[in-house]
Amino acid sequence: MTRLPVIAGVGMTRFAADRPDCNPRDLLAEAVLALLADTGMPDLKSVQHGLCSYESDHFNRQMTLAAILHDQIGLLPTPTVRVEGGGATGALALRTAWAYVQSGLCDSILVYGCETNGRGVSSQTANQLFALSADFDWEMMIGGTYTGFYAAMMRAHMEQYGTTPEQFAHVAVRNRRNAGFNPLAQKPMDITIEDVLASRPVAEPYRLLDCSLLSDGAAVILLATEEWARTNIPRFHNRPPVYFSATGCGTDTMRLGDRYPHITHFRAKRAAAQQAYQMASITDPLDQIDVAELYDSYSGVEIQAVEDLGFVPEGTGGVNVASGLFDLGGQLPVNTSGGLLGRGAPVGATGIAQAIEIALQLWGEADPRRQVAGARRGLTDTHAGIATISVVNIFERRD
Amino acid sequence: MPDVTARKDVQTLPTVEGDLWAEFRQVERLTLSLTQTYTHTLGKYSRFFIELENRRFMATHCETCDQVYAPPRPLCPQCLKPTVWLELSGTGTLKTFSVLHFSPGSNADVRSLATPYIFAYVLLDGASTLFPHLLRAPLEQVKSGMRVQVAYGDSPVEHPIHLMYFVPAE
Ligand SMILES: [Zn+2]
Repeated sequence: MTRLPVIAGVGMTRFAADRPDCNPRDLLAEAVLALLADTGMPDLKSVQHGLCSYESDHFNRQMTLAAILHDQIGLLPTPTVRVEGGGATGALALRTAWAYVQSGLCDSILVYGCETNGRGVSSQTANQLFALSADFDWEMMIGGTYTGFYAAMMRAHMEQYGTTPEQFAHVAVRNRRNAGFNPLAQKPMDITIEDVLASRPVAEPYRLLDCSLLSDGAAVILLATEEWARTNIPRFHNRPPVYFSATGCGTDTMRLGDRYPHITHFRAKRAAAQQAYQMASITDPLDQIDVAELYDSYSGVEIQAVEDLGFVPEGTGGVNVASGLFDLGGQLPVNTSGGLLGRGAPVGATGIAQAIEIALQLWGEADPRRQVAGARRGLTDTHAGIATISVVNIFERRD
Repeated sequence: MPDVTARKDVQTLPTVEGDLWAEFRQVERLTLSLTQTYTHTLGKYSRFFIELENRRFMATHCETCDQVYAPPRPLCPQCLKPTVWLELSGTGTLKTFSVLHFSPGSNADVRSLATPYIFAYVLLDGASTLFPHLLRAPLEQVKSGMRVQVAYGDSPVEHPIHLMYFVPAE
């Protein structure tokens, strides 16, 4: 019997700008209670392994958080491990768990992620901490910010391909609108392209409404062999099986300048996609993928992503995004959850929440206003830095 | 009552219908400030910063791969051989940039920056990579492809990377 993992269950909190009633372990408790409701499990005593997903000891104000979280949700004395990969942490955690199950090390593994990136951290401190994830002496100390690095990439993309602010504003509008169909989204907004263009400049060409959210939140996914899930998950039989069928990961230099002359695209994302497509026997991703969650840390990043993931040819992302190709009702709806722009992004939970959205879509359990009819194969795209580490995971319904 | 000096507030959050957490709706928040101090070494990159005091701009050269690294790399990532120092003229071409309207306040130098400021990526003449730094120029004059050069400041700085910046070429 195959050891390819299935999604045995999911749970997450609503993502929020501020949860004064929750520290990271409280957030995780809510996500795990949601998992119990989702699966019909009374507790987690049958689960064989844990995998902890969080980015920052500084944001969470706790080191060795994995041990505390593992205890919090009743997994002691089973093994656990922490995975960290910047913004890609959640997706990298799932990819690692995939290998743990495939290897036979365990038949079931709970991937649990949480982060407190919200208002509990002052914006000055948040900026400093995020700048620490840039190259300390060469970027951070001269006032570099990720918004600035992304913006410089987008300017190069605009100059090379004619991409426009109106085109990337389309992403800012659509993803926040999609968030309105997701009760767990942080900040749904009904805005226009003009609203985006009129918002204050942050790091030109990006404006305030081109930027994603800082969030508090937690998300968990239980991965298991199908055999284990059939034996241990009461509700597993009620759903079509969704397999975590393929995964890819690529890397690139931390500093944009070291990538010269390739400064308009994410080489790491192309490598990750290529690996995942080969594993999933995908040759025409636009046709063979039904729904995708893309890493829209900034609106224009989604335009770069649809090119690097091979959905549309290089340089045509702007035109194709603006045409509605990736909107609900389009050929390949993306960020149906609202994405980082609308659903929110507590870093360690972000990649997990993306995979939860794909699972809901493939099970046919998303809110009808955002459900992609007949979706059978979905993709998540998640990256750290300016795609310094990039992860592409693919999920398939097989019934 | 004893004083809790870090207390920001105490609040009772509203309960919801069938509230699972009804017992736990009273919330106290503190304002805590944690300070971290380091002896931060510039390591094998030190000569770059020291030469800025002499108004010299240094890169490193891999003689095997003929790559010139600016910022410097002590180890060439292509062939894994140590590089050698090489002085560049400091002139170059602006390849892309962003106009930043807020400062992350990463250190004292950055906190004193006036906004907006221009975060620039420059291909220095003779280099293989783009060097990121601030470009001090009137915004309306800044265009990708313009010629720029390294300028050296006289003001005291905290981090030695601020001994230099870019200006439009003379
Ligand atoms: Zn070399």
